[in-house]
Amino acid sequence: MIMITGGAFQGKTEYAKQRFGFSDDDILNGGSCDFEAIFSAKCVTGYHLFIKRLLEKNADAQEFTRWLCREDPDAVVIINEIGAGIIPLEKSERIWREETGRAGCIIAENSREVIRLVCGIPVKIKG
Amino acid sequence: MTVLVTGGSKCGKSHFAEMLFSGFEGRKLYIATMQPYGEEAFEAIERHRKLRSGKGFETIEKYTDIDEINLPESCGILLECMANLCANEMFKDGEPVDPTDKILCGFRHLKSRAKLLVIVTNEVGNDGVVYEKGTAKYIEAMGEINRRTAELADRVVECVYGIPVPLKGELP
Repeated sequence: MIMITGGAFQGKTEYAKQRFGFSDDDILNGGSCDFEAIFSAKCVTGYHLFIKRLLEKNADAQEFTRWLCREDPDAVVIINEIGAGIIPLEKSERIWREETGRAGCIIAENSREVIRLVCGIPVKIKG
Repeated sequence: MTVLVTGGSKCGKSHFAEMLFSGFEGRKLYIATMQPYGEEAFEAIERHRKLRSGKGFETIEKYTDIDEINLPESCGILLECMANLCANEMFKDGEPVDPTDKILCGFRHLKSRAKLLVIVTNEVGNDGVVYEKGTAKYIEAMGEINRRTAELADRVVECVYGIPVPLKGELP
């Protein structure tokens, strides 16, 4: 796997397109895609939004993420960093934020390369 | 050596911080600053206890006034975490007070006694949300505490989804 992370609107998806030559059709939107489709995706963007949808279905996000790592080991996964702010007042938001952290650690562990985008600049933090 | 470990929520800060003590010889003290209020706090404390168990730490629960802790010389100290300590100091009497000088004073006290001091802190200002005055003051105070402790630390590391990224000096 390859993981691309960073804050919102830092150029993560654009980086994936340029580096891997993905077209728009190659990139699955984690916020709206079919749950099954993710297992054959070349690239999924907004995996943190996918996690939110999993939690809404009462699924185990960490278990699902491990499963994804096994089933689609060549995927490029784009996931925002969302945990570096104030703890949300809403419990479901807190759970989402923490589960995204834990799932992201699983993806990073299973990735041969992790790139973090800051102001459009890619910084390789693993591999 | 003093190491500051920062990062967002659930990014492996504690795990990394504890690992730094694996070869440490001597007394290891764990200063816990989280107050056990509410179910989620209990869960977090329990999780951290499990993570720490068998690693030889003596736990000291101290929610404020870390400058008052009686410390042996040349010990290892892991403080977790600065974000709780800052909130505890700031809001203990209702109206928020500026906790920065007091916490820095406590930090210097720990630094003067420890052979290895590891401080776990938190990034709290990167969600782009505009908060009401009390929370805004807290974010500002955390920013100042992180800047000042980073300046005094030998190494600063940011954890990003489990990956330690060096921000000051090499990875310890």
